[in-house]
Amino acid sequence: MSELEIWLTIIALACATAATRSSFWVIGEHVPIPTRVQGMLRYAPSCALAAIIGPDLLLDPAGAVDLGLHNYKLIAGIAAAAYYLLRKSMLETIIFGMLAFTALRLLLPAA
Amino acid sequence: MWQLNHMSDTDREPDIAAHHEPSWRAGLKDGVPSLFGILAWGMVVGVAMVKSGLTVPQGLGMTLLAFAGSAQLASLPLIAAGAPIWVVFLTALVVNLRFVIFAALLAPQFARLPLRQRFFLGYAAGDMTVAIYLQKFPTEKPEVGKVSYLKGLLYPNWTAWQVGSITGVLLGSTVPAEWGLGFAGTLAIIGITVPMVATRPALCGVLVSGAVAVAAAGLPYKLGLLAAVLVGMLTAMAVESRQEKRAVKHV
Repeated sequence: MSELEIWLTIIALACATAATRSSFWVIGEHVPIPTRVQGMLRYAPSCALAAIIGPDLLLDPAGAVDLGLHNYKLIAGIAAAAYYLLRKSMLETIIFGMLAFTALRLLLPAA
Repeated sequence: MWQLNHMSDTDREPDIAAHHEPSWRAGLKDGVPSLFGILAWGMVVGVAMVKSGLTVPQGLGMTLLAFAGSAQLASLPLIAAGAPIWVVFLTALVVNLRFVIFAALLAPQFARLPLRQRFFLGYAAGDMTVAIYLQKFPTEKPEVGKVSYLKGLLYPNWTAWQVGSITGVLLGSTVPAEWGLGFAGTLAIIGITVPMVATRPALCGVLVSGAVAVAAAGLPYKLGLLAAVLVGMLTAMAVESRQEKRAVKHV
């Protein structure tokens, strides 16, 4: 791509962000959403978050499901979730999870 | 409720837009822990942009204008391969589709704000901030401090993302991939998601959504992500209505 084309692409990406994120903020008054649908949408944010972390925790770089002991992210992720349930602190959970991940990576011999 | 007595018109709706210091601080407080994840994640995307061949100004322009990590990551291989601009645009649109659902959820709460403000609040509201906000204010009921709380979440989130991304663009490939910095973003999401699954429908929705996302990870345009959200929501609703039916039976 030429320099100009790359900048046009970047502007296109900004438009894609605006068209989706600002969508109902801008046109919402004209498009009423049925209560039943609103009720279902309540579950969207937690489902989206789960859909983002699921593949990161379970898939290896080649895209295959990895439930083995060498999947450090999965082990550290489960440990971090348990830590959160105990301590209810997100910051501590992030630190604990990163320490667990790094410890596993450095201490466990490679597969 | 002494404040009510001082108001000339007591049945007027609360002003959600007026600055409300306690709510602004509550937003800051609730959002700050996630910033470390956002910062690390922004950095990973920043590094990826430069590694894929963008120049430093292009990388900075992309993070400042597009402000959508997953869409940016999806666009990089397309740009490197010289794909037509409309293909990159459509890809980003599809990757971002879940934000339409978020907008439908959040926007009705702010329908009375000026258009410009609505546009920018929507533009800045990403995955984590929407989730945290809706934990605090789940309903459309007008409440004092809603806008202040949202801003308390959005401003630091935007700043942390940009600082992380710009750092990543400038450091480029000097950040070792094996540190797994992006994992901090995943951990932040774990911290946000766990308290959201306190009910059985929400828990079922999240488990199904995660499983579908894994099973459909190979789909193009990150469609697996959207499919996961849709199937997860339907599952949660199905569990919820079953619970309601059972509750009615036992009354």
